[in-house]
Amino acid sequence: MIQTVNLCKSFGDLIIFKDLNITVQKGECVAVIGPSGAGKSVLFRTIAMLEKPDSGQVFINGTDITQKDVNINKVREKLGMVYQGFHLFSHLNVLDNITLAPVKVSGMNKTEARKKAMELLSMVGLTEKATSYPHQLSGGQQQRVAIARSLAMDPDIILFDEPTSALDPSMTGEVLAIIRKLARSGLTMMISTHEMRFAQDVASRVFYIDEKSVYEQGTAQEIFQNPQREKTRMFIRKLKVFSYSITSHGFDMVAMNVQIELFCQKYNIESKKINHIQLVLEELILEVSGEGESNRQLKIDYTIEHSEERGEILISFNYEGDFFNPFGSEGEGDHLGIVLITGIAKNFDHAYKDGQNTININI
Amino acid sequence: MNTTLIMSGDYSVIIVEGRVDTTNAGEFEKEVMAVVESGSEKIILDCSGLKYISSSGLRVFLIVHKKMLAKKGCLKLCSLQPGIKEIFDISGFSSIFSIFPDKQAAEGD
Repeated sequence: MIQTVNLCKSFGDLIIFKDLNITVQKGECVAVIGPSGAGKSVLFRTIAMLEKPDSGQVFINGTDITQKDVNINKVREKLGMVYQGFHLFSHLNVLDNITLAPVKVSGMNKTEARKKAMELLSMVGLTEKATSYPHQLSGGQQQRVAIARSLAMDPDIILFDEPTSALDPSMTGEVLAIIRKLARSGLTMMISTHEMRFAQDVASRVFYIDEKSVYEQGTAQEIFQNPQREKTRMFIRKLKVFSYSITSHGFDMVAMNVQIELFCQKYNIESKKINHIQLVLEELILEVSGEGESNRQLKIDYTIEHSEERGEILISFNYEGDFFNPFGSEGEGDHLGIVLITGIAKNFDHAYKDGQNTININI
Repeated sequence: MNTTLIMSGDYSVIIVEGRVDTTNAGEFEKEVMAVVESGSEKIILDCSGLKYISSSGLRVFLIVHKKMLAKKGCLKLCSLQPGIKEIFDISGFSSIFSIFPDKQAAEGD
């Protein structure tokens, strides 16, 4: 139904996407997610040929609409688009906004167009606003009218470009409810959204757009519950990450702790948890740096990931060298540091691959 | 980390403030051991201002404890903040030390 093949788009030197390939089947509801500026809106506009791609192809119902001989207006009759800014005609009332295209473009008679418009207004819960003008409506109501307007053309496909991003949170729900209803009806839809919970509920598949292409795609379950790639994971879990490298035994632990504290304070991490993070890291560094081996080159890299959504901290601690699992060590010493780490951690594990030890600890 | 020594009755009270970690455990040990070796028989470590302690700091507590045991003296801890008490509980140190809710309780025992 929708297919892009090696689609490329740039504005001057700024590459928006490169060799982007997607396929959306008939009846699918696909959510397009990704950071702001990743090119989601440009992708939608390019699919609708409101932006001309630099190269590549866009197929709608099997027709390559990038070809010059294609009647793009005819294609757009079956390709509805709902924008974040509503784009209603301010001088027309609600009914006229909805009937304009069916009458002018499709040649539908006015009575029939009005009857259909009233059915659509009923569907979006705005029958009583038929004679109102856009400025008399709330943002949520305007967006519901915009949805009714795009449905008036009986489209095969609707592209929703961040349909709720211009709305107050109090109005978001009413628009999402309409889109949910449409998704259940089997209409083919692509929705770019920052409403992750909504995307998870409504989408059969999800495209995560980043690094100028589809960075990861899968079912909503796969993308939201078990994302495979790092950036997807960071985006989905709203991860904030602090990274630090240690290359010398004489590193400045005081300065490191100040940086950790600043990072944690920025994301309102409670002071008890800050102490736990610092304690786990101090003990791990002591364990793996080996007090008696100060001549050995030290190479430690760690990250602290804070999931705002789950309120969890994941410390990923990497160090080069021979296999050394401090949790399995039965060597000398009181292992007091390990006792503290294991007492604080929710869970922990150690892995070794290609000369690299990795410890993951959840706090 | 900062320590302040005050005398309270028979007790030498060492008020510990801030963080005791691997960067200053040596200094902390030196300051506390100076009190131990000065002949004080009864020492209270007032931890009301102690914000953070790692294994390096705990080991200093243990060294002082052993030293006091060896000279048949008395070492008490008081006013541990919840986060510090948690670390003592995890490490098992809560069962090694005599811990009191405040200085008054420690002196009265």
